[in-house]
Amino acid sequence: MQKLETPYLSQKATLISCVEMAKDNFLFEFEENKGTLSSCMPGQFVELWLPGVGEAPISVCSGKVDNKLQLLVRKVGRVTSALFDLKPGAWVGLRGPYGHGFPVDIYKGKDVCMIAGGLGVAPLRSLWQYLLEHRDDYGKLILIYGMRHCEEILFHDEINALMELPDIEVYLAAEDANVCLLPHIPMEAGRVTDLLDHLDISPDMQFAVCGPPVMYRFVVDNLAHKNVKDKNIWLSLERHMKCGFGKCGHCYIGGHFTCKEGPVFDLPALKTMSEVIEVGTGKQ
Amino acid sequence: MNQSYTLPKNKFDQFFEILKSDAQVFAPVKVSDKSYSFKQVTSHHQIAFEALRTILPPKKFFYPPVETIITYDKDGAVEHNEAIEYKVIFGVHPCDLAGLGIMDTIFAAGPADSHYLQRRAACLIVGLSCMPDKHCFCQSMGTDCAESGYDLFLTDIDDDYLLEARTAAGQAMLERVVKLISKATDSDQKRASDFWQKRSKAFTNGFECLNLRSLMEQEADNKIWKELGDRCLSCGNCTPVCPTCYCFDLVDIASLDGETGQRQRQWDSCQLTGFATVGGDFNFRPTPVDRLKFWYQHKLHGFEDPYGFKTCVGCGRCTESCPSGIDDIVNVVKGLQIEREAN
Repeated sequence: MQKLETPYLSQKATLISCVEMAKDNFLFEFEENKGTLSSCMPGQFVELWLPGVGEAPISVCSGKVDNKLQLLVRKVGRVTSALFDLKPGAWVGLRGPYGHGFPVDIYKGKDVCMIAGGLGVAPLRSLWQYLLEHRDDYGKLILIYGMRHCEEILFHDEINALMELPDIEVYLAAEDANVCLLPHIPMEAGRVTDLLDHLDISPDMQFAVCGPPVMYRFVVDNLAHKNVKDKNIWLSLERHMKCGFGKCGHCYIGGHFTCKEGPVFDLPALKTMSEVIEVGTGKQ
Repeated sequence: MNQSYTLPKNKFDQFFEILKSDAQVFAPVKVSDKSYSFKQVTSHHQIAFEALRTILPPKKFFYPPVETIITYDKDGAVEHNEAIEYKVIFGVHPCDLAGLGIMDTIFAAGPADSHYLQRRAACLIVGLSCMPDKHCFCQSMGTDCAESGYDLFLTDIDDDYLLEARTAAGQAMLERVVKLISKATDSDQKRASDFWQKRSKAFTNGFECLNLRSLMEQEADNKIWKELGDRCLSCGNCTPVCPTCYCFDLVDIASLDGETGQRQRQWDSCQLTGFATVGGDFNFRPTPVDRLKFWYQHKLHGFEDPYGFKTCVGCGRCTESCPSGIDDIVNVVKGLQIEREAN
């Protein structure tokens, strides 16, 4: 019998660069030469391992993964904090990609609206990069990105460049938009739902949503009022995927493994799952 | 039907010697007035044949509470391979065999868990019949008759055991003990059949195991959950003792030299406060009610996963080990069923 190999061993990867995007939010780029992550699709995640510290599931935020991949990491926990202490050249472990990401095949030929809240913009960046790379396969593209304070904007330069492109419409909002960002970037005062109200939303449009749990219910209600069909709304959920492939039990949600069946689910699936506080089938 | 054999009890000592001739044998051993544990035995006198539920189920042999799976140094990481010794696990009752069957399915699903499967492949499981006590409810869960998960099974028929092999490894063992056994006669078969009938009637605990998923869904807001939650200590006792609780954590244990270390897998519990917490300290199951209900759902009707099985095997360990007396699955289900009928 052929010896089975452990599924928990990461591939060795090297930290190439880290760039500050906002306070406590850095974009890290890694190189992994065996190409094990190259099948990564938008919305999937990897397990990032810092030897001696631990692993954390992080959504991939580059639309095309070859031997390099980017992760946008906020300093919130033990692993992410330790990552901020690493210098380029240090090695880390990466394994994956895991889960089901955004349904880029279902999106084909359709208008796609991406709705990001806060750090939720990171997985959606992989999606807009992918959609722009395959631009002819998709209809109108819209990015709506909301944040609490305007200085928390992530991917400032990239979004600024997107605003110049005819290929995608970009709308930004911050609850506190009083600070002048340089270079200037046009931004509304308010939330993503305020932006949605000003846009011409077609019920047949496809949606990709990623943000903090509290945002989802407001977005889902808003889209329901615009007669968007539930099956056109895809949401990415955050749970603690410790193993990444349905063994450790940490990311169970309403009887489903977020790591295997998600993290991106369509709204009809979420509505039948208990414990999904994001759309109100669980309590919080 | 497999051929059955009869092993006289007065030859069990010889049977045991053959079992242990090239393997470590583990069996239930009495470790205190009321508790038993699977431990290595070197003499058949050490075996507690009367044991019903051991403190920990036999999952511990294949899925230890703590195990090193990866080691690393400053240059990289490698899989940790330990020498796996062949074991005989003797005296596994039908509920625990069903539990092993569930664990096998979970860990064999792709990507397969090599750590569990390699240990599981290096063992011989010898099942043993039992008579239920007041906590046993395997009959309700449909796990009271061993259908798989064993290599050999012994049914206690007075002065003899009826011996059945289920696998090639079990068959090979039968060939090694051929001098001790004889083909079961009709009378032996009748005695075994009488035993299982008598056992079926001996259950005093249980419930009607019907529509548990819809019961749990319809009674999701029943006041029973709040009452249980108020008494739950979130100690997590119910999960390590469960034959099918498999949740784990992966943790790094760094050496003091700062360059080497190991990555361990440790049993975790969905009943512990931080189990469903994500970065930024947001807890998706913050109260004992959330966590208990989650556990009950998994046990009583399973998840919406491809397996679709219940993961309670009716062994009664959680009921016995809960310091608050709330992991009383039988009475919780009965309570919910009564409420359902009343409404």
